[in-house]
Amino acid sequence: MTESSFDENQAELERIVERLERGDVELEELTRLWERGEELYRRCAAQLDAVRGKIEELARRVADDDQQ
Amino acid sequence: MKVEATEVDGRKVFSVRAFNHGIALWLERLPTVWVEGEVTELRRQDRWASVFFTLKDPEDGSCLAVQMSRGQFDGLRLGLADGERVHVYGRPELYEQRGDFRLRALTIERFGLGAHLASLERLKQKLAAEGLFAAERKRPLPRIPRLVGLVTGNDAAAKRDVLTAITTRFPPAHVLVAETYVQGPRAAPAIGAALSDLCGRGVDVIVLARGGGSFEDLLPFSDERLVRAVAACPVPVVSAVGHEQDTPLVDLAADVRASTPSVAGRIVVPDLAELRAWLDRAHTGLERNARRICDRHAERLVTNRERLARAPHLVFERRTNRLSGTHGRLQALSPRATLERGYAIVRAGEQLVREPPPAGTALAVEVAAGEFGARVE
Repeated sequence: MTESSFDENQAELERIVERLERGDVELEELTRLWERGEELYRRCAAQLDAVRGKIEELARRVADDDQQ
Repeated sequence: MKVEATEVDGRKVFSVRAFNHGIALWLERLPTVWVEGEVTELRRQDRWASVFFTLKDPEDGSCLAVQMSRGQFDGLRLGLADGERVHVYGRPELYEQRGDFRLRALTIERFGLGAHLASLERLKQKLAAEGLFAAERKRPLPRIPRLVGLVTGNDAAAKRDVLTAITTRFPPAHVLVAETYVQGPRAAPAIGAALSDLCGRGVDVIVLARGGGSFEDLLPFSDERLVRAVAACPVPVVSAVGHEQDTPLVDLAADVRASTPSVAGRIVVPDLAELRAWLDRAHTGLERNARRICDRHAERLVTNRERLARAPHLVFERRTNRLSGTHGRLQALSPRATLERGYAIVRAGEQLVREPPPAGTALAVEVAAGEFGARVE
């Protein structure tokens, strides 16, 4: 299974939030959706952290190049 | 003289002379007509009885030999030069001695400005109908050309203007100049040849520049062959021909039309200083933008999380409210609610009393707050 992209995860999370806010959810489904939403949030956050880490690394490398 | 064949070994054979004569007689029956074309190879000598020239079709170069008596020709006082467009009134004729076919001219009219304009307009309509000038045919110019081709007259101010504009804006530019005729009958084919020569040398954009001139001077730039060559040129062409108000047809076929040679020079190259500044901005912006995009995604994610955390409570609360609402309506339907409003339930023994019972009957009365006994009078 290929990892879903950040955009896909974010979009699914937003769909879940909107559905919950509209309230047309079976009570039995409520906890399942919430759990799924939390999982998507964790994935998005991890993906975002990874990108941020790369940006910092690149920025450091550019700064080093500039100093040389 | 009659055209007669002799019998040789059972076949009819004509002498050359008889054959030519026969053709000449046949041609004489054709009507006198007007023919339009460009005068080329005009040959006139005072000691000759006739003037000769070739009438050339400007579209495909078809040729027609024309002969006119020198006296008639001189009498017209046209002062024709090579390349001029004329109407010739004459009839076909065969010079029997040489078997040469030609047009015997009776009169010649110079193609007037009006006729030129009308012919240009017809050509313009025709080429437009073919889609040669269509906007979707226009190609974008390279952002930074590797090699610019410049087609211009030798020693022309136009050349200097283009080169100055290019080197001022973009000093590292490479320009290949093709000097050529820019007026007269040789201009159109020469410019066409220069275009393909430059393309062969690897230019990736071509500037075609010529300063202002008379209507006739600029005519080669409306020549059908040249207009087609510009449209078919494998690299984009910027035309800067004549002044703003002149619109030779090459201007319409070119990918970009510049009002002057200087403008053409500025169009084909980027401004080096601007380019440097842009690069610097892009470089500094790169990191900042990367962070900003990341931040924006993070903010959105946080908002979504907050909404996610709130949403189940909302759903739950809404469900609870609905449940208690339903419960309230259920309660409203029980008899208890009726007693609350002051009504009483009267029983005689186990039976509900619905009509007056006999006197002395013992009753049980239930009201909202409790029950008590009573007796019928």
